[in-house]
Amino acid sequence: MAALALLDRERTIARPGFNRWLVPPAALAIHLCIGQAYAFSVFKIPMTTLLGIAAPVAGDWPQGTIAHLFQVAIAFLGISAAVFGAWLERVGPRRAMLTSAVCFSGGFLVGALGIWLHQFWIAVLGYGVLGGIGLGLGYISPVSTLIKWFPDKPGMATGLAIMGFGGGAMIASPLSVALMAHFKTATSMGVAQAWVAMGVIYFVFMMFGTFTVRLPAVGWAPRGFSPASVSGRMITTANVTVNSATMTPQFWLLWIMLCVNVTAGIGIIEQASPMIQEMFSGKVTAVAAGGFVGLLSLANMSGRFLWSSLSDVIGRRATYATFFLVGPALYLAIPVTGKAGSVPLFVLSCAIIITMYGGGFATIPAYLRDLFGTMHVGAIHGRLLTAWSAAGILGPLLVNTIRQHEIDQGIAKADAYALSMHLMAGLLLVGLISNFLVRPVDTRHHYVRDGAHSGMGAPLQEGSA
Amino acid sequence: MTGSNHPSAGGDAAADPLGPIKLLIAWAVVGIPAAWGVWQVVLKSLALFR
Repeated sequence: MAALALLDRERTIARPGFNRWLVPPAALAIHLCIGQAYAFSVFKIPMTTLLGIAAPVAGDWPQGTIAHLFQVAIAFLGISAAVFGAWLERVGPRRAMLTSAVCFSGGFLVGALGIWLHQFWIAVLGYGVLGGIGLGLGYISPVSTLIKWFPDKPGMATGLAIMGFGGGAMIASPLSVALMAHFKTATSMGVAQAWVAMGVIYFVFMMFGTFTVRLPAVGWAPRGFSPASVSGRMITTANVTVNSATMTPQFWLLWIMLCVNVTAGIGIIEQASPMIQEMFSGKVTAVAAGGFVGLLSLANMSGRFLWSSLSDVIGRRATYATFFLVGPALYLAIPVTGKAGSVPLFVLSCAIIITMYGGGFATIPAYLRDLFGTMHVGAIHGRLLTAWSAAGILGPLLVNTIRQHEIDQGIAKADAYALSMHLMAGLLLVGLISNFLVRPVDTRHHYVRDGAHSGMGAPLQEGSA
Repeated sequence: MTGSNHPSAGGDAAADPLGPIKLLIAWAVVGIPAAWGVWQVVLKSLALFR
């Protein structure tokens, strides 16, 4: 029991002399692990031959079935981020990070058991449900802590952490391939063993983050910083509780902005490899298309840090306005680059779009902080992530449905993406209007304690407004 | 980097002498695997330009 006390919010308060630059690596340790989700596809082919080894046999899981593992995990990411956000604010980041680590790593172990026994429902329960809860909790757990430590540059701080989620797949993909190769035998694909190893490795790595993270004491501020220096018309010094926030138009405008930005970006990411090969048939090989996918991963990761850091300088609204103004122009340019046969211009357009896709994810917590204050920003962020879940379904559905419709109408594959790119440009204009409509939150939604409006950073209880 | 307006609340009033080493180790723990992952992707991406 005494050991569990180490997890208490009060025990997480930083002592004098603590360096706030230790918090971003703690956050990165969590996000670099849970970012593994983006690399799930490396398991898809090996998992289709768990019984047959050399080739699929009766009883082996088809790729379509295996894809459900990822879909369930992403669904539970959104659900757990929305449901457990308020709990996270109450118990603090350390307990939430530990829970995330137990769920995420435990998900691998239970999933490995499912693979070992060849029981798909156990694999879903492990990687999908348990792992998905770990993903959601891990994603939101460091965000509000970082914002509290870096009130002078919240965009950069949260961008650093969320960049880790983009970078996690870059580690997980080669690591998974190496582990499967290591454990593969004449009678086993090595997937279950690789999952056990990954569960253990990720748990150890996440423990580093769990026990490194600290909360600043109430009233702490960086030297020379005063809330008044960053407050403005669009940056509040008040706080809004999570329940009040979801009743404001601002929350839903930001929800729409995140949803359309992610929908448009996923439309490119999901189809990246076939799109470049079909639009530049004969010019781009499957191997080169793989390189293109890798390049987009780098753009996704770097965009998360660059755009969110820039938002500290030019403001959150201007950053999103850039996404929603430049984005449509680039989406409209994609079919033109295909017709012109210019691979470099196509790659450049897609890469910039994907930096803005990642930038949208990374800048949203700071935008929420600006509008709703720091008190429940983690919980509010968790609820906003339901926009991600919606976009995860909407984006691929739109691109695939429209592409197939175009091909069915007799349009060449190379030209079948034009309509969906035009639609994505239109969606981003909806985001532009939403961003334009964002106004400061009405004072009637502000949290009031003892008759006074709350200041930044006060550790208040959920639902007490 | 550690500055505080409230020394009792976590600032550099009693700066940790091991602070720079802890900072270096913490960033190395996350930086080395991240750099390895990025390098793997850069190598893969080069296929596009060949």
